[in-house]
Amino acid sequence: MSLRLRALAPGLAFIAFWIAALEVAARAGWVNRIFSPFPSEIAARLGRVIGSPAFPDALGSTIGLLAAGYLLACAAGILLGLAMGYHRPTYALLEPTLELLRPIPKPALLPPLILLLGLGAAMKVSIVFLGALFPVLINTIQGVRTVDPVLVDVARTFRRGVLKTVFRVVLPASLPMILSGMRVSLGLGFILVTLSEMLTGTHGLGAQLVDAQRAFRVQDMYAWTVVLAVLGLALALSFDALERRLIFWSSKR
Amino acid sequence: MVGMQLRGFALVIGLLLLWELSVRSGVVRSESWPAVSTILQALVTGFKLGGWGEVFGSSLYRMALGFLLAALAGVMLGLVLGASALLHRIAMPTLEIFRVLPSPAIVPPLIFLLGVDDALKVTVIAIAAFFPILLNTIAGVKAADPVHLLVARTFRVPRRRILLGVQLPSALPYVFAGCRISLGIALIVTVVTEMIAGSAGVGYYIVSMQYAMRASEMYAAIILLSAIGYLLNRLFLALERRSLRWAHGLERQAAHG
Amino acid sequence: MAELLEIERVGKTFGAPAEAIVAIRSVDLSVAKGEFVSIVGPSGCGKSTLLQIVAGLVPASAGEVRLEGQAVTAPPTGVVYLFQQYSRSLLPWLSVEKNVRFGFSHARSLSPREAEERCVHYLDMVGLADFRRRYPWELSGGMQQRVAIARALAAEPRMLLLDEPFSSVDALTRLELHGLILELWHKTGLTILLVTHDVEEAVYLSDRIALLTRRPAQVAEVFANALPRPRKPVESREDPRFLELRHELLTRLLQPA
Repeated sequence: MSLRLRALAPGLAFIAFWIAALEVAARAGWVNRIFSPFPSEIAARLGRVIGSPAFPDALGSTIGLLAAGYLLACAAGILLGLAMGYHRPTYALLEPTLELLRPIPKPALLPPLILLLGLGAAMKVSIVFLGALFPVLINTIQGVRTVDPVLVDVARTFRRGVLKTVFRVVLPASLPMILSGMRVSLGLGFILVTLSEMLTGTHGLGAQLVDAQRAFRVQDMYAWTVVLAVLGLALALSFDALERRLIFWSSKR
Repeated sequence: MVGMQLRGFALVIGLLLLWELSVRSGVVRSESWPAVSTILQALVTGFKLGGWGEVFGSSLYRMALGFLLAALAGVMLGLVLGASALLHRIAMPTLEIFRVLPSPAIVPPLIFLLGVDDALKVTVIAIAAFFPILLNTIAGVKAADPVHLLVARTFRVPRRRILLGVQLPSALPYVFAGCRISLGIALIVTVVTEMIAGSAGVGYYIVSMQYAMRASEMYAAIILLSAIGYLLNRLFLALERRSLRWAHGLERQAAHG
Repeated sequence: MAELLEIERVGKTFGAPAEAIVAIRSVDLSVAKGEFVSIVGPSGCGKSTLLQIVAGLVPASAGEVRLEGQAVTAPPTGVVYLFQQYSRSLLPWLSVEKNVRFGFSHARSLSPREAEERCVHYLDMVGLADFRRRYPWELSGGMQQRVAIARALAAEPRMLLLDEPFSSVDALTRLELHGLILELWHKTGLTILLVTHDVEEAVYLSDRIALLTRRPAQVAEVFANALPRPRKPVESREDPRFLELRHELLTRLLQPA
């Protein structure tokens, strides 16, 4: 543990340096106090923001809707990906449709979804689902395709049946690629849920951020930015930890 | 084989027909659910009247600018951080924080510092597109064949020459891959920034059409946007293939043993 | 004859003091100007490491290497080290000619035409002038090794260090390359230090042969080679003096530790 801290020390020192520099610059008036980040101010507001009643609601909304859309997308993506990767006819059938839908930038789908589903939870979960689906799906297909055929043949010789073969052999073997896709999807989902909150201005961290910006509560706005950054970091680190536990056996790591 | 592929295309056509029928037959009556034919009409009209040029022109300009800035910064910083383990350790945590922050969330703070026009958008685009190029360049530099470096040393090639003449070309396959990803990101983030803080461009257009409930135009713009994204990706792949012929040759040689 | 190279009590240890691996215990060897000396030893005995120390690519843990009286601490001018993995030593994004130029273009200021002439001259010496515009992956293993040799010669060094340069080519190509190396050596008057595990190669090519023990390495004995020059590919290998030296060396090498 201390070895990791020692490795991080120069980087953390660098961050501390920048925070200190910003503080000095703001206090000395070299940068605009009101519009620029003012670390001590932000820290104070942060405490208030976290303690405020709006906070759990916003945090819960963001995490909840992100989780809902993301988990649905992963489930759908993995199942569909396994089917398409393993079964050629299924792939041939669905591939053109997928290839047409894939290049559509998912944020651009936000306005249509708003028209169709309104400004609420259903729309947000949908956009996260649509955005997170493709990386997982594509990576699952890739992962299945690159499974060592010997493994699959071994399973077949033991007459394990298609379902068992797929779930007990193909799935674990494709896990590194699937996880790689899931990681991209998580980032994308986070961006989409934040964006949808910012555009609709209803619940969620993004909404609070935009709210603060419009009301010119600048240091509050920075505080909400910090919250989002911390959440993003937490998501990334959690995913890393999960990945390490799941694929400790993979040489690709 | 061919039969299977045909079924795939048939599915697409079938779905589109279903969509068209759902509107024509009156099953779905909604302003937000236009018929495929009306969407196509709006698409064509835009071309005829030259409207698309205006809408996409400014977006593509901002995207290109943001992407170029990101590429320049990403490659330069990537070379330096890839070559020096110490600098890498110092800079990475700071960069990580910006990387995990969702790009839409960067916009409001920057509005106060840069206003709402092009400077803001290009900055956000550049920040978002910067990371894949940076990370890939670092990986590329680190993946350099140590034998290449030893060769440079035995011939006493000066340090700067090594960086630009050996480590950079060696990292090019990675750099290209990062650039391709960044190009896609640049396009998306251009749209996103225009949706949040726009007055021109595709993102602003799509959101405006949403407010005006002009669904056909909205969908038409989305279709065109997707097509452009797809084309840019293919063009870049072609460019990549031409520039990296030596890398492909190397792979082939390795495969033959 | 002046001593060009002096290796004095050179030792090399790897790893932390607690679990140190002594690769080389103590090696003493001198090489005169214009000599062709081989170092033979069992696999893993540290002969490549020794050569890299002489090349200035790896620091010695003990002792000193002197080139014309000057201590070697970094790759010295006038010495080129040729890698065992020759195909990896050629830069894949550069053509054959540019690879050759890579060795000297930074050291002297030559006009483009002079540089080109020099490249062609040395490529001609190895018989590859017609291939100058090709890329490394388009060439066979033997040809790649010849490009590496041309590149080394083009830098016009005083001494060449060859690290098992012919171990990965087929037997026939190896014989051709032997002939080439001897020819080049006669023409240029270079000093050559060759590391090899192939006893016959050492006997065929060199003036003297240093036999190293197993790890930790020391010089067991230095053999003078009475085989007359010029050496002929078939006849020299049937000469009783060749066979005698070969017999002696092989017996010593195959002795149990």
